[in-house]
Amino acid sequence: MNSKNLLYIAKRILLCLLTIWVVITVTFFVVHAVPGGPFNGEKALSPAAEAALKEKYGLDKPVWQQYLTYLSDIVTKFDFGPSIKLRGRQVIDIIGDGMRTSAKLGLIAAGIALVTGVVLGAVAALRRNKIVDRVIMVITTAFISMPSFIMGTLLLLIFAVNLRVFPANGTTAAGLVLPVITLSLYPTAHITRLTRSAMLDVLGQDYIRTARAKGVSGAKIIFGHALKNSLIPVITYFGPMLAYIVTGSIVVEKIFAVPGIGRDFVNSIINRDYPLVMGTTIVLASLIVIMNLIGDIMYKVVDPRINLE
Amino acid sequence: MKKLLALILVLSTVLCVAACGPADTTDPNATSINVCLASEPQTLDPALNSAVDGATMCAHLFSGLAKWAQDEDGKLVIVPDLAMALVDGVVGEDGKVTYTYTLKEGLKWSNGDDLTAAHIVDSWNRAASAALGADYGYMFEVVDGYAEISALTEKLDENGNVVIDEESGEPVMVPANPDAKLNVTAKDERTIEVVLANAVAYWNELLAFPTYYPVHPSALDNDEWATDPSTYINNGPYVMKSWAHNSMITLEKNDNYHAADTVKMDIINFYLSDDANNMLANFKNGEWLLIDDVPVDEIKTLETEYPDEFVIAGQIGTYYVCWNVNEDILPEGNELTGAAAEAAKAEIRNAIGLLFDRNYLVDAIAQGGQLPASSFVAMGMTNPDGSEFYKTAGSADDDFDGYYDVSEDAQESNFAAAIETLKKYYTWDDAAKKFTNFPSMTYLYNTNDGHKAIGEYLQGVLASVGIDMQLENQEWNVFLETRKNGEYSIARNGWLADYNDPICFLDMWTSISGNNDVQYGKGAHKDLAMYNLDLTAYGYETKVENGTWAETFDVLISTIKSCTDNETRYELMHLAEDMLMETGCIVPLYYYTDLYMVDDSVKGFFSNPLGYKYFMYCTVEG
Repeated sequence: MNSKNLLYIAKRILLCLLTIWVVITVTFFVVHAVPGGPFNGEKALSPAAEAALKEKYGLDKPVWQQYLTYLSDIVTKFDFGPSIKLRGRQVIDIIGDGMRTSAKLGLIAAGIALVTGVVLGAVAALRRNKIVDRVIMVITTAFISMPSFIMGTLLLLIFAVNLRVFPANGTTAAGLVLPVITLSLYPTAHITRLTRSAMLDVLGQDYIRTARAKGVSGAKIIFGHALKNSLIPVITYFGPMLAYIVTGSIVVEKIFAVPGIGRDFVNSIINRDYPLVMGTTIVLASLIVIMNLIGDIMYKVVDPRINLE
Repeated sequence: MKKLLALILVLSTVLCVAACGPADTTDPNATSINVCLASEPQTLDPALNSAVDGATMCAHLFSGLAKWAQDEDGKLVIVPDLAMALVDGVVGEDGKVTYTYTLKEGLKWSNGDDLTAAHIVDSWNRAASAALGADYGYMFEVVDGYAEISALTEKLDENGNVVIDEESGEPVMVPANPDAKLNVTAKDERTIEVVLANAVAYWNELLAFPTYYPVHPSALDNDEWATDPSTYINNGPYVMKSWAHNSMITLEKNDNYHAADTVKMDIINFYLSDDANNMLANFKNGEWLLIDDVPVDEIKTLETEYPDEFVIAGQIGTYYVCWNVNEDILPEGNELTGAAAEAAKAEIRNAIGLLFDRNYLVDAIAQGGQLPASSFVAMGMTNPDGSEFYKTAGSADDDFDGYYDVSEDAQESNFAAAIETLKKYYTWDDAAKKFTNFPSMTYLYNTNDGHKAIGEYLQGVLASVGIDMQLENQEWNVFLETRKNGEYSIARNGWLADYNDPICFLDMWTSISGNNDVQYGKGAHKDLAMYNLDLTAYGYETKVENGTWAETFDVLISTIKSCTDNETRYELMHLAEDMLMETGCIVPLYYYTDLYMVDDSVKGFFSNPLGYKYFMYCTVEG
């Protein structure tokens, strides 16, 4: 990697930080401007208690002052503060707990999607227009068009309620099987199609014909040349996909009662738990920004011809 | 590339294996039960808790001076728990009532420390303090000294100037006496003396309320004690063995509990889920033996498929519609003003309330076994003689319970009577059978399919008589704020009792209450002198004619709160509800029910009228 590329990466990292700062600022002011507050409830809090709590969490100060305090706490101490609603818990711990599960779920689903997708895509491309290809294409189209809440509910009904093969809640390891499958179906289908079209494109290239003409074995052509080059779009897709899976698993987490970050994120907004809203937003935004950056860098790594400038 | 592929494969395998960790090992002979009430509780600090699911868990983890229990006939009663007996109070000359409790011998915390009277005193002072900011801190309102704790003063900056809130322009308020304490003292290790500002009929019930549970001294200066089993010290039937956030809370029998020998269930696993469909799936496949929520769409099916396991229990609460008292609903061009206008509006609101068919509403729309409501104070609240409060509400001359007849036969005549009343104020088009000049209104509800369906029904009924009512939904938190600030004309509302005494349905409507969504005694209604209050028949001197809401209703509520004669007190509470219902601002629709499913293998389970569920005496058969 030359210095030009390094400079580019450095620039991108700075841009990422800028993006995250913008996200923090916009979210902070928007979430404070939205009507409602953390102390609203079906039953009103006593005025004395509300006053004491506002003072405790610094909500009695002007919003810009709260913003500056918040920003400086994050930058200097990496302190996301305590949750207002989940009394006694630190935002960083809540996010840590949720992210561990969400990340585990997301990574396994992504791993499965990658392996299955590439294999199926390659098979489909090599058996182009044959029955295997057709079947794979029909199934992947179905998976792409079917939303996860339908897929999840179906799997839950068949495997947890009717057959009782897996538990219906994601609190145990066995309980993660169904949510992982649900989560991985869409990206698997997507990767299959990406691999297939890229592979077909590569297989039609001159250098493959040359290799065949030279008598290189079929397997070597496929694994050594065709597959490698057809993975470029897959690899660039992988970063954003991972971010999508981890952040987008909210629905799946709900269906299977998986203790991920999704529920905290949604509840924090409903409850106007400002520190938790900020914390989860920052973490999820950073994840997407970083994954996109990695995706771009991977693009360069797998295809040296690409100039990042 | 081959390496990359191999790496991915290895990584996936490792992750899969890592996900499938070893299963939890527990004593194979221990009895256990898996249940699911709701999602992650916001707190398991009994003083901070304000949720029903949290209260259930706290009832298993803590033991207060009193507790709920089932007597031999299966009736729910309040019995002594930490206290030797639930003694009667001694009324002093100043009207204050002193209770002296003796604690049972040898009480221990779960870590083996001795539990003393001083711990209870400190716990109560903590729970009531403004600094803790507990939702239910006001439960100590009845204890002498609470007034000082809840007093507010303007906040001053370093220079002694009043700090003004930039948004509202009002001074920032802070607690006036941060060091104020309740009038509760520990006379010795086992004796505790409580002074109440006046006699309180539901005092024993308060003693069984989670806010009154004691917490260990180590909790007093540790904000985080209740979030981690290692710092969670309690004194109830169970200890917290583990808390996997958002996933599961496991309770294990507490050997240091003073009545440990009565506890039958060894382990309770509270699974944490907020998805009713997921709960049902887990119930159907036999993993969870009790679920505290069911999908609304499934209610009819479950009733027939699981007749013994699907339970519709009473819950003390009322679903109602509230009007903004200051909303002008009179037709354009009318000449009524002041008290006359308000009296007309009250008549109109009451008439509109009669248009709705509550039987249809609960059977066809709400579908949760709810019962049509004819009063605001919910079914389940009882008079001193044990009879239902709502049955003696309203006029004694009529032959129905409550303020209007909700029987199916009465609907037609109710409707006709309402139309006749409305005709006095609005133009009726006889050909179209519709009113032509009723001003358009907006019905506000929080975004939820159930509330929407009810809103649509109300809208349909009104549209059929020519009254245009638009529906507007708001996200929960915004909705609460809008409704509280009175920025609505009609809104969906609901109220669940905190304790079994009608006052908790009545004191919320004083002009200073934070729950006064109707805006009684606020805005234009504040100066409206049109209410009468005559308490001379009850032995009081109070007699107000044409007084404001604050001069009448507020006074009535404070009279009730200081009334020592139980019979009079209940009569006054009926009077207060009469006042509320006469305004027509509160339109009760139905009494809430608590829906849950409990597997028929579970024996010894019970729940109380507040919705708390008790698993400690359960056994699982088969």
